[in-house]
Amino acid sequence: MKNRLRVLRAERDWSQADLAVRLGVSRQTVNAIETGRYDPSLPLAFGLARVFGAAIEEIFQPEP
Amino acid sequence: MTEPGAHGFYTARASTNQRRFYIWLIGAMLAYLGATAAVRFKSSVPAGLAWSLVVLAWLLAIQTIRSYLAFLRGADELLRKIEIEALGLGFGVGAFFSMLYPLLRELGAPDVGQLGSAVVMMFAAAIGSWLGRRRYCGVGSR
Repeated sequence: MKNRLRVLRAERDWSQADLAVRLGVSRQTVNAIETGRYDPSLPLAFGLARVFGAAIEEIFQPEP
Repeated sequence: MTEPGAHGFYTARASTNQRRFYIWLIGAMLAYLGATAAVRFKSSVPAGLAWSLVVLAWLLAIQTIRSYLAFLRGADELLRKIEIEALGLGFGVGAFFSMLYPLLRELGAPDVGQLGSAVVMMFAAAIGSWLGRRRYCGVGSR
């Protein structure tokens, strides 16, 4: 699963730790999602969408 | 979701719960040692005391398991996944070790005692936890 987390985070000038605090997860969880090593659960994906004010499909795209 | 903390793999809540787990674990280990000593020297220890120490060891073991479950439930989803995979590896290795090592012992391998399987299980779970961190967050992630 590809994602735009790094871009969305950079647009807001948030560190991984900042985003982690907003989501209530650890910094390594944000890092693992961002690098594509871990796909988040649906509740966490909705949490990301809420934090970024975007639809889930604007953040995550399936790999071709 | 969990309370914010956001450093390394642990949220503040996960860190607190893990600390509680370690405290209970240390208590359970000490109680186990006390109970083992009481049973081993039962001829010179009052029966009531030996029974009390063994029951205490059981109670602390149960509380340790409960605190570990609380840690798992309070951990964020990635840490929970890593820990559950580690438990799976630990259980699998421990179960097969307990079945297969007696065959090796029959062939001349040294006796590892009654705690051998438990030690192997815990060691395999620790390796599983390290492997999980490496898998999801890269080498040397903390």
